[in-house]
Amino acid sequence: MHPIRHPRNVAIIGIAFIAVGAIYALGAVPLGYEIEWAGVTMLGALGIAMSLMAYVLIAGSSED
Amino acid sequence: MTADSHALTPPAEHSPVAGLAHDARGGISNPILGMILFITSEIMFFAGLFAAYFSTRANFVDANGVKEWPPSQFDHILNPFSIILVATVILVLSSVTLQMAIWAIRRDDRRGFLRNMAVTFVLGIIFLLLQAYDYSLLFEEGMTMGSGPFGTTYYTLTGFHGAHVFGGVIMLGVVLYRGMSGQFSSRHHDAVEAASLYWHFVDVVWILLFSILYFL
Repeated sequence: MHPIRHPRNVAIIGIAFIAVGAIYALGAVPLGYEIEWAGVTMLGALGIAMSLMAYVLIAGSSED
Repeated sequence: MTADSHALTPPAEHSPVAGLAHDARGGISNPILGMILFITSEIMFFAGLFAAYFSTRANFVDANGVKEWPPSQFDHILNPFSIILVATVILVLSSVTLQMAIWAIRRDDRRGFLRNMAVTFVLGIIFLLLQAYDYSLLFEEGMTMGSGPFGTTYYTLTGFHGAHVFGGVIMLGVVLYRGMSGQFSSRHHDAVEAASLYWHFVDVVWILLFSILYFL
């Protein structure tokens, strides 16, 4: 199996989006803004959606 | 591999990867692939609804200039420890029984599969009936779609979820009917796996909905 097809990469993609969402949420407070939950929700959901798409690409491709 | 050797060697049909059915070439099976893609689009659909809810909530100010959510006239109506909690428990229970049905068909226990599928199907219908009853109680209390941004977002979110549960119940009904016709076995049950993915997704969305609408 090629290293890029390892299932852990699916989690990395999702975590990357969720980390951006967390920075977006937590960064607002010290800068004097309110947390904008709509954007945080979209980033979190995008992380899950992107993980699923990556899973489809990895698991859906044939071995040969 | 030549065509002849391929014919002599039976393919490793539906060898599970991550617990899901795959086709003979190692790729993911079409029903599962289609359902995962559909669920991915549904995640973004519900994310849009949740985002709209949060945006509406953040900008809401009532007629008296008070920033309060839920608005004071609906504060006492939305009680999480009511019929809606029973509906939530029933939906979570239905996911458990559906998973038991999946485990049963994977070990070729068709009787256990049909029993658990039938229970899941009935629990799905009960959830819908309880939600309809809860709506009737809210209507009696004066909370409708026209009750400002709160009523609109509440019924939009729960209504779209209810529509998805309704679709899921139809899906479960088709799977149950096909199961009763003997169309599924431990080797051929992709439709069951696909339906279960959808049902679990609908369940998770409800838990988020319930938590956000009633507790946040």
